[in-house]
Amino acid sequence: MVKAYDWMVKCTPQTEWIEHKGILLWLAFFFIELGAGAYFVGSFFNSLPAKGIGWLLCGLLGGGLHFLYLGRPFRFYRMVVRPQTSWISRGMIFVSLFLLLGFINIVLGFFSITSSILSVLTIVLSFLVVIYGGFAMCCINGIPLWNTALLPIIYVASGLWGGAGITLGVAVAKGSAQMLTGVEEWVHLLLISFIILLFTYLISINYGTIAAKTSISEIIKGKGWYIFWIVVVIIGIGIPVIAMMTGSRSTPAAILYLTLLCELLGDLGMRYLILKYGFYNPLIPKTT
Amino acid sequence: MARWGMVINLNKCIGCYGCMVACKQEHYLPPKIFWGRVLVSEAGKFPSVKKLIYPVLCNHCKDAACVNVCPTGASIKREDGIVIIDYDKCVGCRYCVMACPYQQRTFYGDDSTQYFPGQGFTEWEMIGKELFPLQEGTVVKCTFCAERIDAGIKRGLKPGVDRNATPACVNACPAKARYFGDLDDPESEIARLVSERKAFQLGPEFGTNPSVYYIIR
Ligand code: SF4
Ligand code: SF4
Repeated sequence: MVKAYDWMVKCTPQTEWIEHKGILLWLAFFFIELGAGAYFVGSFFNSLPAKGIGWLLCGLLGGGLHFLYLGRPFRFYRMVVRPQTSWISRGMIFVSLFLLLGFINIVLGFFSITSSILSVLTIVLSFLVVIYGGFAMCCINGIPLWNTALLPIIYVASGLWGGAGITLGVAVAKGSAQMLTGVEEWVHLLLISFIILLFTYLISINYGTIAAKTSISEIIKGKGWYIFWIVVVIIGIGIPVIAMMTGSRSTPAAILYLTLLCELLGDLGMRYLILKYGFYNPLIPKTT
Repeated sequence: MARWGMVINLNKCIGCYGCMVACKQEHYLPPKIFWGRVLVSEAGKFPSVKKLIYPVLCNHCKDAACVNVCPTGASIKREDGIVIIDYDKCVGCRYCVMACPYQQRTFYGDDSTQYFPGQGFTEWEMIGKELFPLQEGTVVKCTFCAERIDAGIKRGLKPGVDRNATPACVNACPAKARYFGDLDDPESEIARLVSERKAFQLGPEFGTNPSVYYIIR
C-alpha cells in the first residue's frame, strides 16, 4: 500500500479494481471472458456442452460477480446509457444481448433446432464480450500498463485460449477424436499467440514512462515476482507447453484436465498482475 | 456562459494544508475522504534541494475523462464547466476513478465510518449527513463548491470576488495563493494570470484540458 505522503507524489497503484471488493471485479472479468471464449470456440465445433458451460460461466459467475462488485448493484440497468463514449456501457450491452440470445440459441440447440442467423449473431456477440474488458482498460491513459493496444489483444488471446481449453475438456469427456484434433489445433495456436503477445507486451511497456517501468519491475522482480514466475510462467505457460509437445492423444484425461486448470490459473495470475500493478504517474512535474 | 477555473500560485503556497482542512470542514467530509490535497515532494540532490508543494483538487477538466467513461451518465459536466456527480444515478462501478489520471475521485464505500470509532457520530458529522448527504456505494469528488457559486450568483455576487460565492479553499488560503474566476472572461483576474504568467496545467499529455492552472512566479 502506498504511504499517504507518497500518494501521487510517487507512482501510485490503482486499488479500486483489485483490492477489497475489487477482487470480485478481477474474477468477474476473468469468468466473463472465459465463458464467452468457451461459447465462441464451442460454436465452431457445434458443441452444445461447451456453449452451455461458457454461457453459465459468463452469465452466472462473471455477471454475478460483477453485480456484487457494484457499489449500488440494483442500479445496474443504468449502465447502458453512454455507449457512445463508455466501454463499460458497450460491454453491458454486449453481455446482456449475448446472454439473452445465447440462452435462446442453446435452448434451440437442445431441441436440435438450428438458426444460422442466431448462431452467427451469438458468435459475434461472444467475441465482443471477450474483447470489451481489454478495451475498457486500454482507454485509460492514466495507467501506462493498461494504455496500450496490445492489452485487448492479449485478453482476446487468453479468453479464447481458456475457452478452447474448456472445449478441449468437453471433447475429452465425450471421447470425440475428430473434435479433439480440431480443438487441439486451436489450443496450440492460441497458446503460442498468447506467449508471443504477453512477452511483446511486457517488453514494449518497459520502454514507457516511469509508471510503466515501475509496473513491469514490480511484476517481474518486485512484489509480484512469484505470481509472475511461478503462476504465470511455470504453471500457466510451462505446463501447457509441455502438454502441447506431448500431444493430447497419448496423455491421460486427468493430466489434460490438470493442464487446463494450470492454463486457467496462469490466465488468472496474469490478469491479477495487470490489475494490481497498474500504476499512475506522479502528478508533480519533474521540472519545477 | 462562464467557465469556472482556478489558478494556484506555487510561489505563494506555504504548504499549510489550510485548503485541505477548509474543504473537509465545508463539506463535512467523512474520514479518509479528501477532495483537495497538498502534495509535497523534493527535487534536486543535496545540497541544492528544492521542496515542491502542489495543492491538488479535481481539475474540472474541459474534456473530462471521468465524464466520458461513466456508463450511467452520473458524471456530468455542467455548462459552466463544473464536473459533478449525480449520486442518485451512480452505480459505483468506479470506472471514473480509474479514468481520472489525477486520481481525484474516491469511492465512498462505508457510511458508518466515524471520526471517533465506537463513540458514535459527532454533532458535526450528523449535521454533515443532513447538509451534504453522500450516498454509500457511490463515487465522490470536489464540486468546486458549486453550491456556494450557485447560491452566490443568485444573490448577485461574483465568484472569485465575493467570498460567499467563492470556493472554501480559496477563501481559507492564508497566503492568498489561490485565485478563482471565469476563464472565458478575458477581464477576469484568473484569465489574466493564465495568459500573462506562463500558467501550466498538470498532466497536459492526458488531453483533459484542466480548469485548474498553476503559476510559479
Ligand atoms: S480531474 Fe479527474 S475527476 Fe476531475 S474532471 Fe478531470 S478527470 Fe474528472
Ligand atoms: S462510479 Fe458512478 S460516476 Fe463513476 S463511472 Fe461508475 S456510475 Fe459513473
